[in-house]
Amino acid sequence: MSRLLGDPPASGALGATEVSPEEIVSRVERSGLRGRGGAGYSTGAKLRAVLGSAAGGREPFVVANGYDADRQSPIAATLLERQPRRVLDGIAIAARAVGATRAYLYLHPESTATRTGALAALSTAASDLGDLGVEIAIGPGGFAGGEESIALAVLESRKAMARQRPPYPAREGLRGRPTLVQSVETLAWLPSIVREGPDGFRASGTAATPGTKLVSVTGAVARPGVYEVGFGTTLGTILDGAGVAAGLKAIHVGGPTGGLLAASRRDVTLDYAELAAVGAHLGSAQIRAIPAETCVVAEAGRLFAYLAEESCAICVPCRVGTKRVEGILAGITSGLGRTADLPWLTEIGDQMARFSLCGFGITAPQILRTTMAEFGAEYRAHIDDGRCPTGTCAPTRVRRYERMVQP
Amino acid sequence: MSLLTNLQPGESQLPTVSHHGEIPSGQPTVTITIDGQEITAVAGEAILRAAQRAGFNVPTLCDDEKLAPAAACRMCLVEVEGHDRPLPSCHLPVEAGMRIVSASDGLFKERRQNLEYILSDHNAYCLPPCQVSCPTHIDIPGYLELMAKGQHVEAARLVKETLPFPFTLGLVCPRPCQEVCRRGLVEEEIAICQCHGYTGEMVMEMDQAPTPFPQEVASGKRVAVIGAGPAGMTAAYYVALKGHAVTVFDRLAKQGGMLRYGIPEYRLPKVKLDKELDCVWQLQGTEFKGGMELGRDFTVDDLLTRGYDAVFLGIGAWVSNEMRVPGEGLRGVIPAVQFLRDNASGIPVEVGKGSRVVVLGGGFTAFDCSRTSRRLGAEVTLCYRRSRKEMGAHYTEVDDAEHEGIRLEFFVAPVRVVERDGRVAGVEFQRMELGEPDASGRRRPIAVVGSEHVIECDIVIAAFGQTPDLDFVKKEQGLRKTRRDTIITNAAFVTDRPGVFAGGDAVIGASTVIQCVAQGKLAAKAIDRFLAGADMAEVAKEIAAEEEVPELIDIVPYKPEEPQVRMPFLPYAERVLSFELIEKGYNKAAAEKEAGRCLQCVCPDVGRCDLQRLSLEHKLTDNRFHRAEPVDYHDYEYDLTHDFILRDLNKCINCTQCVRICKDVIGADCYGLMGTGFDSIVTTPFNASLNFTDCVSCGACVETCPTGALMLRERDLTSYEIDVVRCIYCGDCVEVCPHGALGETPNFELSTYKRFGVTVLSKEELAGARTWKVSEQIPLGGHEDTRPPEIRPPGPPPWGA
Repeated sequence: MSRLLGDPPASGALGATEVSPEEIVSRVERSGLRGRGGAGYSTGAKLRAVLGSAAGGREPFVVANGYDADRQSPIAATLLERQPRRVLDGIAIAARAVGATRAYLYLHPESTATRTGALAALSTAASDLGDLGVEIAIGPGGFAGGEESIALAVLESRKAMARQRPPYPAREGLRGRPTLVQSVETLAWLPSIVREGPDGFRASGTAATPGTKLVSVTGAVARPGVYEVGFGTTLGTILDGAGVAAGLKAIHVGGPTGGLLAASRRDVTLDYAELAAVGAHLGSAQIRAIPAETCVVAEAGRLFAYLAEESCAICVPCRVGTKRVEGILAGITSGLGRTADLPWLTEIGDQMARFSLCGFGITAPQILRTTMAEFGAEYRAHIDDGRCPTGTCAPTRVRRYERMVQP
Repeated sequence: MSLLTNLQPGESQLPTVSHHGEIPSGQPTVTITIDGQEITAVAGEAILRAAQRAGFNVPTLCDDEKLAPAAACRMCLVEVEGHDRPLPSCHLPVEAGMRIVSASDGLFKERRQNLEYILSDHNAYCLPPCQVSCPTHIDIPGYLELMAKGQHVEAARLVKETLPFPFTLGLVCPRPCQEVCRRGLVEEEIAICQCHGYTGEMVMEMDQAPTPFPQEVASGKRVAVIGAGPAGMTAAYYVALKGHAVTVFDRLAKQGGMLRYGIPEYRLPKVKLDKELDCVWQLQGTEFKGGMELGRDFTVDDLLTRGYDAVFLGIGAWVSNEMRVPGEGLRGVIPAVQFLRDNASGIPVEVGKGSRVVVLGGGFTAFDCSRTSRRLGAEVTLCYRRSRKEMGAHYTEVDDAEHEGIRLEFFVAPVRVVERDGRVAGVEFQRMELGEPDASGRRRPIAVVGSEHVIECDIVIAAFGQTPDLDFVKKEQGLRKTRRDTIITNAAFVTDRPGVFAGGDAVIGASTVIQCVAQGKLAAKAIDRFLAGADMAEVAKEIAAEEEVPELIDIVPYKPEEPQVRMPFLPYAERVLSFELIEKGYNKAAAEKEAGRCLQCVCPDVGRCDLQRLSLEHKLTDNRFHRAEPVDYHDYEYDLTHDFILRDLNKCINCTQCVRICKDVIGADCYGLMGTGFDSIVTTPFNASLNFTDCVSCGACVETCPTGALMLRERDLTSYEIDVVRCIYCGDCVEVCPHGALGETPNFELSTYKRFGVTVLSKEELAGARTWKVSEQIPLGGHEDTRPPEIRPPGPPPWGA
């Protein structure tokens, strides 16, 4: 069974030059590798799509996303600091597979140590890269900067704003050319899959989602940090491994836009489909243990306050919608809530998920859906009884949103 | 292939389609289905473009066909088969066989929600509620702004566009505008009426009153206006301004109608009324014929046969409604209208010093009667069957009456008039209490059993409203009346008889002066259109559409406090036995100060604003994100630094059209979307003035802005001069002028302005100057060869010389 954070692969030529590009794609397809960036799209299918778009002589690019948008989940940084050569090898293999000669390693501006390490690894490996040019690019900072279309905008020296898809980058990405955008973690799997065959990779994980995943366990745990676990592991197991405290209230899965599950959901497994079924997503693979004394409504409000600051601001539902949800939630935690606020939040959430431009706004309503479904009683206590069940809410506003009456 | 790629250099060009919907032959096309309808689209173009060409109304706020799509506003999202989420049609290129849903209940609701977000941070006023609520729709912010600048004649001109008698209305109007004034949300409403009262008073002193526009040349048509009251006089004024000859008939000897014979002197001095009404007689072709009563001295037929092309019936409502209680025929019971008219005409009335008067009613007329009686020395009790709140009269009037010593009795209804010696000795009342609201929304009074009591008095004045006197209708053809005794007309004020119009109280029943003025104004418009041979059904539709109350008026107001400038009033002590005018009027400084308080809560972009249009289309006239904390909205300063472009970031909706047009079309690249999240704004680098950018003042950003965030700055007109000595003939000014005010001529050296002391050269003159040399004077008028000697050193040599 191969592990990402296990022994580094043997040194030597990068890019699996002994395997033909077609064979690389085929092996990746057979491995069932899915993108680790959060959406879980099949990597083999993506490679195939880029190859297809590049057929017309449009040379593709490779972008390795090591941005770590969710700063509580430093997965790319961990990999790049501990396995830089594996990542570079993965980039080289991917580039060879799609026929790219330029690749970009896209990093967060605050990941200075990672950047230094990656630069050192790059200079060491320069001779092993052949004619592949790998450059390090620095993103704009902030949560939205990790979104793939924003990464492409930054690489084009444009304002860091999301771009509507379709067309997907595999068809039209950087500078209009086919672009393979993969997370650093996904790419780091390629060396072992391509060189050793998919069997070792498939030894862990589930049939639908083989392999292991780096997750960041945070919050009320004794040993927070990045762990490598197989897909299909239950959230409870992961939390126990990090030493979770007793009396947990909720598990926040998937980073700032992820859903908040009740602590009783410990048996939910780490799996794209299963997380989606309960209203969460893998996202940044942060698993946060929320302690008992946290008010979930206030927590949802804090998340939306953060999102309202971090939205790239191009599309309306995300830019304004997040702010308005924050306002409604702050109204509820300030004792100004009304029963009609709950269906209103549902309405807003549904619209935001359907009308937003990128994953940011599409996934943000998960917070609302999960908290309202799993902690409905807490919302109602705030609204009906005017009290916070945890006793932690202090009024933050004196006026709530009102319906306007035309003069 | 996306449209973005198409804009990349070296890639294929955007498909070219003419603006007016024709696909040029030779373009590869595909067939797509929108809402079940198959349409042909140019391969590679955006769905939105194809849909618009096929006549689908897909809403959008950030699309401009000159620009790369941004998919920012999320209004043009459509359902595309095979995609689980709606996609922006401005961004997605058509593909053969695509099946698209562009309109559905779900999309409508979601787009509406989206608009609600946009409007919730569109911190701006839309329409001024005062103007909307005024029956005549005076441009109130407009004249107040002019007044604040001290341009009072201009202000009067503007007021007179819809209201010919600003002084009179300043005194007698019930002020519906002030009730809705947004300044009232800050502290206290603007004294709107007193302000136009001031302009009206000021221009009354002029020999020739200003008109809103010059009177048109005589049309040869003649119009008879019957009734010299507010409706008739207004109609006469505007009909005359259109160049038609107007004769105003009135059954009373003097002009003014109810203004003269209904409203007492202390509210409106008749000398001043006459002076103001003079503005009608100053117009060419107007004449007044007093003492001529319709039905007695002439009929409508007579007028039409005597050469009048149209007749306007503004006969008012002069019959006081009956009390409908026993004893109302007794001596000492006076109908309100008769009492006021007799008093105004100088006919002695029965009320005098020491008489005890009971006035019945709660409207303006009741108060006019009470306060008049009081001034004649009587002890007055005003009795009303509901509470103070339900009174029809303005609250200031009620307060004043009380201060002047009039007793107010509420919740009493007359049961009978008590008789002694063949005349009135008192009125028996019954106490009332309020029950359920009736059709008018006022709570219906119900009698309290056993509460009968008598108030003793010598005179009873009944002011239960008035009705038009329509006895003459029997003798006329084609005139019909309602059960309420009003004349039936359509929205264009046309009666069933062509050429005969009616308006004012005679049509809408007894109402306020301002409503009658509004009627007169609209009727004049209809009459003018009738005389021009227009289809009156069309005119009726137009007028109805104009008078529709707009649904979207307000967004989010905020302004610092400043109290109203108080109107000086005649002290209560001096009102005893005196008909002196109560409102003393503003002086110039006070009027300008008060006018300056106006929030100017009107957006110059109204009518051109796509956001407003879409909001109305989506029935978004309320907003659920209103009135929360300041952090929920943005309150930016106006940027007035640029000479031509006014930036109001409060209205910006982040559509980024200006960013794209300035960068991709103009090339100046002045704007960008700065920051992230809710607090992001579209502005210049470092939020600096446009003066510090590469702005060429082309106005493209203003033109493309879908709302009022970028507007052309309103300016007082100035003339510009060119310093010929410093001009290097670069032609930049010609190139950037967005309005083509500067042009190139065949001989560009001659296209200078004020060269050789010539002020302005006409196009023809410049065209004719083709053969003239720089050093030569351009002959003006005819192009004869009269070359004067060289008077200036020659300019730079022509290019390539």
